[in-house]
Parts: sequence; C-alpha cells; structure tokens
Amino acid sequence: MRNLALQFRDFFVSLKLTIGLLVLGIVLIFLATLEQADLGVWGVQQKFFYSLFVLAKLPGTSLLLPVFPGGYFIGGMLFLNLAAAHLHRFKLTWRKIGIWLTHVGLLILLVGGFLTSLLQQEFQLVLDQGGTKNYSESDRTCELAVIDTTDARTDHVVAIPEGILEAGDPVQHPALPFRVVPKAFYPNAALQMRRDAPGAPPSLATAGMGPQIALTPLAVTYKEDDRNMPAAYVELVGTDGSLGTFLVSTELGMPQHFDYAGRSWKIVLRFERRYLPFSVTLVKFSHDIYPGTDIPRNFSSRVRLATPGAGEREVLIYMNNPLRAAGLTFYQQSFANEDRTSILQVVRNPSWTLPYVACATITLGLLVQFGFHLIGFFRRRSREEAART
Amino acid sequence: MGIRRQAITVLALAAMFALPACREGRVTDYTVPKEKDPELPPAEAGGAQGGDSQPGPGGGMAGTAVPTAGGASLLWTAPAAWRQKPATAMRKGSYDVPGADGVADLSITAFPGDVGGELANLNRWRGQVGLPPLSDAEVPGAVVRVQSNGLPFVVVDLASAQSQKRLLGAIVPFGDGTWFFKLMGPDKVVAAQKTAFLDFLRTVKPGPAP
Repeated sequence: MRNLALQFRDFFVSLKLTIGLLVLGIVLIFLATLEQADLGVWGVQQKFFYSLFVLAKLPGTSLLLPVFPGGYFIGGMLFLNLAAAHLHRFKLTWRKIGIWLTHVGLLILLVGGFLTSLLQQEFQLVLDQGGTKNYSESDRTCELAVIDTTDARTDHVVAIPEGILEAGDPVQHPALPFRVVPKAFYPNAALQMRRDAPGAPPSLATAGMGPQIALTPLAVTYKEDDRNMPAAYVELVGTDGSLGTFLVSTELGMPQHFDYAGRSWKIVLRFERRYLPFSVTLVKFSHDIYPGTDIPRNFSSRVRLATPGAGEREVLIYMNNPLRAAGLTFYQQSFANEDRTSILQVVRNPSWTLPYVACATITLGLLVQFGFHLIGFFRRRSREEAART
Repeated sequence: MGIRRQAITVLALAAMFALPACREGRVTDYTVPKEKDPELPPAEAGGAQGGDSQPGPGGGMAGTAVPTAGGASLLWTAPAAWRQKPATAMRKGSYDVPGADGVADLSITAFPGDVGGELANLNRWRGQVGLPPLSDAEVPGAVVRVQSNGLPFVVVDLASAQSQKRLLGAIVPFGDGTWFFKLMGPDKVVAAQKTAFLDFLRTVKPGPAP
C-alpha cells in the first residue's frame, strides 16, 4: 500500500508529467485552431477547452467517445502537478521565497482561467441609433418569459431558463396560477407558415399561433455568422385543466397573449435577458475609414447612460476603450443595418482581477529570485576579487 | 505525502472536474416597466424579428429550411432578364422578375409526396391572390395540363381584380415529390411575363440522378 502511495506521489510530482501536459496543451491548441474554421470561437471553447475530454462521434453512429484530453483535464492536472511538486520539493525558506511566489502566481493564473470559464457571462446590447434599452441579451441561450401584463404600468416577468425547458422539468412558480410543462425543446429550429408547408407533420400546439406554424428541427450551429433559433412546445396547466400547448420560438419575435384567472398574460421565448441598473441610449454610431479607402479605422458608439435618481452621462465607447459600469464591461463588438445599429458586448467576469494578481505575483517572484541570484553573484565576485588581492 | 493527503487531493480533483456540471439555471421573477410588443410583421413577408435589428441570419420565416424532396432534381434555364436570387434552404430556385410596374417573385420549391393533392394546392394559391376556393368538380376547367420533356405540368393563371395580384403557377410531380413553380406579383408585371413563364416551363427537364 505504501509502495502504491509513493508511486502515486511520484506520478503527481514528476516533471515529466509537467512536460507531457504542456505538450498535450500545445497539441490541443493546434487542433482547436484547425477546427475553429468550422465551429467558430465559442464552439471551439466549449469542445476543446471548457471540457474534460474532447469528444468525437464514432463513425456511422451517434456515440460520442473521448479522443483527447480537454482543457479542464490538462489545466486541472497541471494545477495538481504544480501544487504537489511544490509541496513535495520546496521548503518555505526566505531564499526560496521567489520560487514560491512565482509558482503561487502560476496557480492563481490557472485558477483564474478556470473561474473565468465558469463565471464569465457574455451578453449583447443591440441598439439602433436613437434607441434605448435597459437590458442586454444573450446571443446563445434563451429563456421562456411568462409575463403578467395586467398592471397598466408594470409587467411582472417569470423567466424560465433554457436548461429547465431542455430537461423538461415542470415549473410551478408562486407568481403563476398555472404550471408550465415543457413538452419539447429544439436548440435550433426553422418555422414556416403551415399553409406554405402542406406536407409538414401535425403540430403539438393547440393554442396561440402554434397550430398555424410548421416546425422543422435543425442541427445546432456554432458558426460565427450563424445563429441558433431555439423553439419549444410548452403546455400551461391550471387547477381546472390544460390552458393549451403553445409553440414558442425566438424566431416568432412577438409574444402570444392570453387571459387566465382574471389576469392578462403573455408568453414568449426570447434570448436570455439581463436587466441593467441604468438605461443606455445610442446617440451616434461612427464607422470611420481611412480616407480614400474602405479600410476601417475606428468603430465607436456614443451612448447616454441614464441611472434613475442619479442623472445622465454620455460616454464614448470605442475599440480598446470599453465602458466599465456596475461590474459590467461594455465593448464595441460589431455593427449592423448599414451603420445604423451598434452591437456592444456586455461582459460580467467576477474573476477578472485574478490574471492581474497572478502576473503581479509572478513578476514579483521572478524579481526576488533573480535579485537573490544577482546579489549572490556580486558577493561571490567581490569575495574572489578580495582573495586575488 | 500520506494516504490522507492523497485522498484529499483526489477529492479536490473530482470536485474541480465536477464543478463545470453545476451550470444550472434557475427560475427568476422580477417587475419591469411596461414594455411594448414588437410590431407584427406582414404575414406574407414572414419576417419575425421585429423591434431592434438583430445581428446574424435567421431574420424571417420566409427563408427558413423545410423538408424538400430529395433525390433527383429538375433543371431549367431562366430568361436573362430574370435576376437570380440566392437559393434558400426552402427554395430550389429563386428569381426576381422585373417589369414596368414593379417586380414579381418566382419561387421554385419541392416537397416530398403529393403535398395534399392538386385541389389543396390550387386552392392554397387561389387564397394567396384573394380568390375563393374551388370544388373538386371545378378543377378541370381551371387548369391547363401540359406535357413537356416527359413531365406532366398542371398550369394555372390566377388573377384577382380586387388584390391586383396575379399568380402563374405550375405543379409537376417528379420522383418521390412534387415541384412547384410560382410566379407571383403585381397583375400587370406577371401578365406581361406569361409567355416568358410558359417558355421557361418548356426548359424544365429532369436532371441526372444523384
């Protein structure tokens, strides 16, 4: 048993393991770069880096097999290897403090990358010139919003995330007088008016616009220039029976209205929203080019932030000069609609400081380590000179 | 490193690897100032985004994928004046047909099976130009049957004075599916193109088997 434990320890503290993992990391990045052409950045991140193993389909079947270690595996093993080797080999002495700091910095960097992969949220704020919004939207994940519109001034929203729809878990929320029962979820689907698709299979929908619409499931796309349009069939069940099954899709664009229990409701599948503590108005989007060419020089959005009770301010967002507000960072990401629409990327990353802390720690560690060496070198040389004279 | 410390290491490793699985969303509820619904797009255009412009494709239902008849394809030669549009997942071919008073749209689609039969499709087209449906007995008088390149075409010319729209259509069963050639647009534009459309149908022929 003790022998086995020693083997286990030797494996984790070995420098060969470090080299092996670094080589695997290089190969992983190379493979991911090749596949980026087909999958896009987000798809590659999910498949290669935010996974324990890279999975591939067994030809001729839908069986997924692990074919290569993924980012979580390599990063996790590197973390363990570095921590184990450090605890095993190095003693905490003043002379080794530089090496300690450098390694702690590397560990923080690995933890930072891991936490970013888990915690970072990216949304988009799509604004037409002159338009105002107080929420950003995901460009990938959707939510089912069931909205009580009875009040003349406010809407009460119950937002059910895509994961629950996909799992088919019924939702009984205290704010709803009915149960929401997901019947089917399609991560990407095309809709067509049923009168234009007479051969389409019968619809599951019994209420709202659904019965007039034919749904065709599509393969999930990861491409940069493509967008998934999720859809779902959702049944609403009240105390006295079913209210009907609705077809909802981000492609429908508009909510479906109904009345129940003396209140007015609407139901809509929309890209997941994150409401902001302020509203953002696009005052002007500028797309500057180098004179005499079509080469872009700068993209910028002049926006007005209005915080209730705290007044307004105008901010210019341009490349490499994001707006940081309320724990969010707003980057100029893209534009559309012949320069009349600006697309800002809104990022929340609670661990955004960790890479800075890591780099500062590594720098300090290296300075201390080389400083010790330098001082030692000078001391040795002065001793040698003293011995010569 | 003792056994206990190893056990802790293994548990830490397992916990770290298990963490990514915990990305589950939860139901939230909140109150927001009243929001206006995006305007309903015209049914014929089928655009479904509404409101602010959205990046990326998937803009409308008109251009979405549907199951079309697979297998062998038909080939055709369109007049030079017709402007070819990018084919979509739904359309096998798509053209703008310009005229003095506007532009008509030619779509070529194919679906598996008989797609509901001749009467259903004829009445669907009649509905699109604002004409009442016909009964089964009235169909023979409302269509022209043409044989060309070994293909049995059912050709219709539908016009409505009220909607000022005209539809020239041809239905042809081919392989395991049914193909539809539909030229629709302003009455005058489509009427002026009738000869060109019929000549165009004569160019339609079976392509090589896939």
